Formats: sequence, C-alpha cells, structure tokens
Amino acid sequence: MDSNHTSLQSTGETKKAENNDTKSIIYNAMVKRNPILVSGMVIAPAVVFANTYMRAVTLVITFSSITLFTLLFSSFVSQRILYTIRIIIYTIIGSLVYVPVAIVLNTFIPDSVTEMGVYFPLLITNSFIISCSETTFFAENKGKMLIDILFSILGYDIAVLIFGVVREIISTGELNGKIIAMPMQFSGFSEVYGGFILLGIFAALFRAINLIVRKIKQ
Amino acid sequence: MSYILQIIMVSFVAVFAENTIFARALGTSTLITVARSRKNILGFGICVTYITAVTGALCYFIDKYLNGSESNFAYIVRPLIYIITLGLVYVVTLLCLWKLLYRIFGRIKKYVHISAFNCAVLGAMFLNSKYCTTLAEYIFHGIGIGLGFVFAVYMVVIVYDKLYSKEVPYCFRGYPLLLIYIGILSMAFYGLMNYQLTY
Repeated sequence: MDSNHTSLQSTGETKKAENNDTKSIIYNAMVKRNPILVSGMVIAPAVVFANTYMRAVTLVITFSSITLFTLLFSSFVSQRILYTIRIIIYTIIGSLVYVPVAIVLNTFIPDSVTEMGVYFPLLITNSFIISCSETTFFAENKGKMLIDILFSILGYDIAVLIFGVVREIISTGELNGKIIAMPMQFSGFSEVYGGFILLGIFAALFRAINLIVRKIKQ
Repeated sequence: MSYILQIIMVSFVAVFAENTIFARALGTSTLITVARSRKNILGFGICVTYITAVTGALCYFIDKYLNGSESNFAYIVRPLIYIITLGLVYVVTLLCLWKLLYRIFGRIKKYVHISAFNCAVLGAMFLNSKYCTTLAEYIFHGIGIGLGFVFAVYMVVIVYDKLYSKEVPYCFRGYPLLLIYIGILSMAFYGLMNYQLTY
C-alpha cells in the first residue's frame, strides 16, 4: 500500500516535472529566445518582404512549411556523420522540401510567391536549418525537439504577422485595403531601412515588456 | 576599355550601391554572429569573397545550361543545383586547406563553415543569375557581393562595443540598437542609390 502510494506520488511528480519542462520549452522557444525579436534569425525576408499584412502571411506560410519539414527530415540524419557533410545534407533536404512547397504555393498563391523573389528559395539556408538545428533542436530528444521546433516557428510567425500589420498601417495608413484613420503616414517604413529600424524598435519593446512582466511576477 | 570599366562598375555597384546587407538585408544573421569578434573579419572576409567568386563562376555554366533547357521546372530545381554546387565548393575548399595548409587548417575551417552556408552566398548566386550575362560579370559581381558583405561587417564591428555598452538603456542595448544602426546606414545607402531594388 505504502509502496503503491509512493510510486503514484513519484509518477505525479514526474508528470508535473514534465509539464513544467514542456512549459519552459514553449516559453523559451516563443519568448526567451524568440527567433526574430531576440535571437536575430531569418531577418532578411521579414525586413525586405514583410511590409504588408498579406506579404507577412505569405512569408509565414513559406517559412513555416520549408523550415518545419526540413528540420523534421534532417533530424533523422545520423550525428555520427561529419559536421561538414551533415550541413550539406541539411541544405540538400531543404532544397528537396522546397520543390513540393514551391509547386503547391505556385498553384494556390502564384502572385505572392513571385513577389517574394529570391527570398523564397533563400529560406533553404535560414538560421533555423543551418545553425539552430545543431545547437538547439537536435541536442534534445525527439518529443522535446518537435515541441521546440513547432513553438519556435510559431514564435517567429506571430512576431512577423504583428510586424507586417504594424508596418502596413504606419507606412500606408491602410490594412489589407481598408483605410485606417492615421494622422500621418511614414512611407519609409515599407523600405528596407524602415524595416530594420522598426524591427529594432520591436525588439526593444519586446525586451521592455518582458522586463515589466518579470518585475510584476517578482 | 569600356568592358573593363563595366566590370569594375559591376563590382562597385555590388559593394556599395546594392550592398548585400544595407540594400537587401541578405546574411544579417551571419553578420550578427561574425561581428562579435574583430579577429574574425579578415579570415571571414577572405573566405566569403573566395566562395562568392568561385560559386559565381560555376553559376555561369549552370545558368547557361538551365536557361537553355526548355523545362518549366528550372526555377524549382535551381536551388537544389546551387546547393549541391555550394556543397562541392565547400568540401573541395576544406580538402585543399587540409592538404596544403594543414598547420592553420584548425583555425581556418570555422570561417569556411560560416562563410559557405549563409543567405549572402546563396543570395549572391541567385542575384548573379538575375543581373549578369558574361563569365567576368558573374565572377566580379560575386567578388563585389563578398566584399560588400565584409564591408558591412566591418561597419558594424567598429561600433559593436558601443552598441553593447552598459551606457545604452537596457531595452535598446545590443541587438535592438544594432538593427536600428544597420537601418540608419541602410537609409544612407538608399539615398546614395536613389531607387528601389527589385528582388
């Protein structure tokens, strides 16, 4: 009876620890090391391309599909293979994943994909696949890795969508064709330099919000 | 003479007016990684410029074949072919370094890793195929992109300590301010160029 109680207690504690572990993975992936607002990954397509809400949606779809499948397939590559060869295999997997993704997206959203230009195929060599795969994702077990990858991608997607919406509103005074009453428009924010500056401001705001939340919790 | 001037102009445009970071933001993540140490710049610069030049030359022949083929799928398989080419250049370079410069191979190989697989190098291959027509243009445009990237890294490295200084308010310190700084430089280059790039 006593041993049963102890084993139940330990199972409960293990489950609680696992839940906490999952929570911390999700928190780290989306907030603590948010790919674009903290870690500075996959900046180019966001800064250059995502200057409207619709473009941000296109980027989110293309980035998520290429990165998710590439990382999932790459996780099966043996770690005993030399790093020099592994990194080539990852990018080859990326370019193979690109083929069906490009065919499907060219069928459904051809104009958006054409607008993306070179930034679409360049997603093959994004930082998630080249550096983060080795340093973060593949160092974890498969379950944790999947959660980490999914929520890291989600963290990136949410940040890019908000970035695209704000950028469109302040640069054109519109959101997806609907006019929003803005006292002024700053068209420069739709350019590359505007993208850099706005992303910098976003990163600073994100850090400030984190700081405030941490202080409130304490 | 005009041909030589044209080639010089191609490189010049790639370094300054259409700088890979300030005008196209290609390889910004790599720049952030490399800019952490001043010591890295020379080795990294040589590696990136070498790889963009060599892959530029190889791209000329690949594009000649792909543009000549009547297949509609050329645009879909192009990234795969470019990646394989890049991988081959990467492996051959490492093997040559290992054979010829074994003593300094350990120090150099980290530069080769980071300078081969990044958006700036792959982007250079795509931009070459878009803007260049002759072999010399491919090579010099590649060199220009490599040098432009190194120039951008240098511009960040010289102020890196100030951007990460404790005198800067915590929320802006480091990465956020780095992006704003790149944005301001990018604005200056935009003014120099006075037109929007196509991609």
